[in-house]
Amino acid sequence: MTSTGMAHDDAREALEALALDALDASERTVVLAHVATCTRCQEELAQLRETASALAYSAPAVAMSGSQRERIRARLISRAVADRGTDAPVRGTMASYKTPISGVVPIEAGRVSRKRASSADGSRWIVAAAVLLAVVSAGLLMKTRTERDDAIEAFQLASTEQRLNTTVFDSLRTQVADRERLIANLTGPRVAMMTLAAATPTSPSARMFWDQSVNAWTFVGHNIPAPRLGRTYQLWLVTATRKISAGTFVPKENGDVMVRATYALAKDALAAVAVTDEPKSGSAQPTTTPMMVATYGSR
Amino acid sequence: MNPPRPRPPYPHSRAVVLTPRISGAHDLVPDDVAIMRRMAQGDDRALGSLYDHWHSLVYAVVLRIVRQQKDVEDVVEETFWQAWRQASRYEPSRGSVATWLLTIARSRALDRVRALTRLREESLESERAEEVAQYASDSDPAKDAESTERRKIVVEALGELPAEQREALELGYFGGLSQSEIAERTGQPLGTIKTRMRLAMQKLRSSLQVLHEEHP
Repeated sequence: MTSTGMAHDDAREALEALALDALDASERTVVLAHVATCTRCQEELAQLRETASALAYSAPAVAMSGSQRERIRARLISRAVADRGTDAPVRGTMASYKTPISGVVPIEAGRVSRKRASSADGSRWIVAAAVLLAVVSAGLLMKTRTERDDAIEAFQLASTEQRLNTTVFDSLRTQVADRERLIANLTGPRVAMMTLAAATPTSPSARMFWDQSVNAWTFVGHNIPAPRLGRTYQLWLVTATRKISAGTFVPKENGDVMVRATYALAKDALAAVAVTDEPKSGSAQPTTTPMMVATYGSR
Repeated sequence: MNPPRPRPPYPHSRAVVLTPRISGAHDLVPDDVAIMRRMAQGDDRALGSLYDHWHSLVYAVVLRIVRQQKDVEDVVEETFWQAWRQASRYEPSRGSVATWLLTIARSRALDRVRALTRLREESLESERAEEVAQYASDSDPAKDAESTERRKIVVEALGELPAEQREALELGYFGGLSQSEIAERTGQPLGTIKTRMRLAMQKLRSSLQVLHEEHP
């Protein structure tokens, strides 16, 4: 008899049912208490559980349809990517600098607070609202959906033709999952959208989509001029106490750019988003006057 | 008294291991334990690998238990999602990845059935035939070649059992019934059900020795 009140032989006789998860609750508790202290029963139970699991093979062999199989797979990968993002607050191209605001930084914390942003205090962050931006979200969404559909179609075609090229499959699957995620980041129920305003003659336009449910940031810009030689653009999330780099970028030849980053930020913490011109390697803190800015809540 | 024999590195080293094995394809079989390690480190591609490797069997088990196609998809997804979230808890010394994953799948499927309070009134056999007829067009035995042989062995092993013993196993595993519930369902004494279940498991274990293999 063990200290748990059940003899080894009695517990052993119940292991088959325990492996099948078919013991009644009260008996299960007693048997498990014995197993916890008995190495022989632990080993025996491990083997019996493998036997019990073999029963799964007696289920009728019914395959999922290709579309169903890939639908589940895409959802899982998308969820895993988002889940991974929540474990580590900063990922992707984003870098977080926690350097305190220094005197060389032209942004003063108080000026970008959400409530003060609209006040005409001469801040260089508050650019005249006269420059209205081109609507990018609808076109972007359509384009993303088309790309998603194309990727699905390509994947299904590849599957049909049984081109067992794992690299290609993985790439297409990743593309599908990525587009699904982007659509969610742009259209989800907890997506806040900010329009960045600029006063330069070229009238660059940009919007920032903040999917607060998964801490995803998607910056989409158009008509952005190429940076000067040896320079780059840097995207910033501005709070009342600091400016957080969301990565550097160089637009394509046509002036389009998309920057995606993951960063956890409390909803009330964001005061503004801004783009500055910086040295090619980026800066720990902004060193120039923002060329584009949006105060949170100005949308 | 003889000195105690040294213990094998894995306590279940002679257990049935459900890793598919087919001639000529051994090298293509992913290393499930390595996949689990990658999942625990946050590698979402590893989740894709696990899904690719086991979705067919998980789907079959879930469908066998849940029976409703619209619920099956959710349960399959939640099974692999739970595997992703709990990958770091998996311990190879306690059993194969397949057994761990199938335990999750069975548990989630039974939870779904219980949540929907769908009690089984028909015999499991008649339901099974209905399901196969409904979804047979989606079956692709060739693609599941790696598990076909194993499936054949298991089905044959079950076929060798007396019908009442096989029923006890199936009501327990697929039906999620306890021994007392099986006794009530079948009108047999509890002691009889316990005996049937135990004998059935012992015979099944013996019959499946052919599937045994040593861990590396």
